[in-house]
Parts: sequence; C-alpha cells; structure tokens
Amino acid sequence: MRPEWVLALGVLVSAQASAADWKMDPAPSRLEFVATFEKTAAPGVFKEFDTRLERFEPEKPEAAKLDVTVKVTSADMKNGDVNRAIRGPEWFDFARFPQAEFHADDIRRVAPGRYLARGVLSLKGMKKDLEVPFTWQESANAATMEGELNVERLQFGIGTGEWADGKTIGLGVRVKFNVRLRKVG
Amino acid sequence: MIANTPESWGGLAKFFHWTVALLILAQIPLGFAAALWRLSPLKLELFVWHKSTGMLILALMLVRLGWRLANPAPGLPPQTPCWERRAAHASHGLLYALAIALPLSGWVINSAAAVPFSVFWLVPLPPIAAPDERLEDLAKLAHFSLLVALCLVLAVHIGAALRHHLIKRNDVLLRMLPRAWGRP
Repeated sequence: MRPEWVLALGVLVSAQASAADWKMDPAPSRLEFVATFEKTAAPGVFKEFDTRLERFEPEKPEAAKLDVTVKVTSADMKNGDVNRAIRGPEWFDFARFPQAEFHADDIRRVAPGRYLARGVLSLKGMKKDLEVPFTWQESANAATMEGELNVERLQFGIGTGEWADGKTIGLGVRVKFNVRLRKVG
Repeated sequence: MIANTPESWGGLAKFFHWTVALLILAQIPLGFAAALWRLSPLKLELFVWHKSTGMLILALMLVRLGWRLANPAPGLPPQTPCWERRAAHASHGLLYALAIALPLSGWVINSAAAVPFSVFWLVPLPPIAAPDERLEDLAKLAHFSLLVALCLVLAVHIGAALRHHLIKRNDVLLRMLPRAWGRP
C-alpha cells in the first residue's frame, strides 16, 4: 500500500473514532420545567425521558443527530391536585398525546463547549421549530449535556380555554435539562 | 388615646379588634368559596386572596398579642361574678389562640401540598413543612376543626357582648366601639 493511502485510512479511522454515538444514563439525568403559578415559580419534572446523540464529534458536530423522547405522562409537579389537572385535555391531554419528541439534525458549535441544536419539537400534536442550546462536558466514556430554554405553552395548545390568558398560569415555561450520556461504540 | 385605660380600650386595641374581626368575617366565606369552586383561574385567585388574608390576620394577631401583653386590658365591671370573669378570660385566650392557629394550619396545608404561593402576589411564602400528602390531609382536618371551634367561641363572644349591652346594660360592648359612635 502506498504511504499516502495509509495516511488517508488513518485519518478516516481517527475521524470515525472521535464521532461517537451516545446513550442516556437515566438515573442521574434530569428534565425539569418551571411554570409560573400566580406569579410564583411552580417547578415540575418529567420523570421518564430518553436522549440519543448519534455521530457527535465535539469539534465538528454538523453530522450529529439528537433525538429526545419524553413520556409526557410522567410529568410530576409535586402536588396531587395539580398532577390530576395537567392530565386533562386543556393541559397535556395524556390520553391523546402521551409522548413528546424533539429531533435535531442541525447542531452547531457556537463557542468551545457550547452548542445549539436546531430541530422540531412535537408536543400535544403540534410541531414547532425549536432551538436548544447546550453545553457539553466529556470525560472518558461519559458526558454531560446541560442547558435551558423557554417554551411558550400556547404554541403547543397547553393550557387552553379559560387558562389561555396567562394571568393565573404564566405563558412562558422554563425548561432545564441535565443529561448524562455514555458512549456506545 | 392609643393605649388602654383601666376603664376603656385604647385606639390601637380597637383597631386590632375590628380589623381582625372584619378580616375573619371575610375570610370564612372566602375559604369556603375557594375550597368548593370548580378548578378554574377564579378558584386559584380566590385561594390567593384567602391565603393572603390569612397571613395578614396572622401578622396582625402576633403584633396584637404583643400589644395585649404589654398593655393591660381594662377591667370588667366590679360586680361581675367570678365564673364570668373566668369565662371571659378563657374565651379571649381561645380567640387569640384560634386566630393564630388557623392561619398556621393553613400555612401547613399549603406547605405540605407544595403549592407555590406569594402573599398578595408579591412576597413568596416559604414552606414550613415538607411536601407530604398525609400531613396535608391532617392539616386540612385541623384547619376545619379549628374553624368549627372558632365559630363556636365567636358565638359565645358575640352573645356575651350583646348580653352585656342589652341585658346587663353595662359599657363592656360600648367601650370597644370607635369613640365617634356616640359613646358618652
């Protein structure tokens, strides 16, 4: 084999080695949301969700793909009455829309360790473009993805009817995530 | 004029008495309305009013208790029998205790239920108990029982005041009224 071919093969192998697939470690991972209730922060959490990140290369993330699925029915706002209320058709409508998804295949590095994933969020039967900023910290075969963003609940028809004016339950919801990932191959 | 005299209540004691009386009068129907209303924005608003009023009553009662301890109350008419004096002391003590315990038990309900709440939409109220559904149920039972007790003692209190005024024809009721209301 000619030396330049060996070099090219070497570059290819090393490039593939640094672009890895990542799977979520559910136990330490958190997906939280903070609504406002009578002008006071009302935190909640989605207890079940999953994150997959494919072909992610920290230096060159363009080819990567991010997929998040959220079991909406695992939402917990720490209060029995509230948890019963958010199941209903005016809020999350568990019966018809038990799952939300976010898919992004446009991931850019905006600064060292900081990224922006542009994709589509499907929630309560509606699809909207969404930009998700996140930080990335990697060590050995584990990584932490962390970020937060605002979601306007009415874009997804959450809190309709008499709740839509946003006076008692605010319109903006802060979403925060801290995801632990493990390298798979 | 602010302080009590041996014969009559001072301005501050009257202010506390009637302000708390009016707040309690509003608070009881407000509480029932909030608890019984169907889940809607109005229900949440009613609860903010009820809880805020409760915290206001609690704050006023604590200051009032301090004032009551610092400033001796006017005496009862000299011919008042011993059992009546004891009954008066006991019912006044109970009213103070209940007007403080009711908002406290409400605060426990709100804390155990983990409901975010800001007093009059302004001041976030910290929890005084960890989220716990069993404690929430217990505190609700206590809140309602204390309310029943308050209504009973209030009936005695109002009845006794009217008896002093209408039957015994002394100034025990009049001396708690604002002076502008034509007390000699």
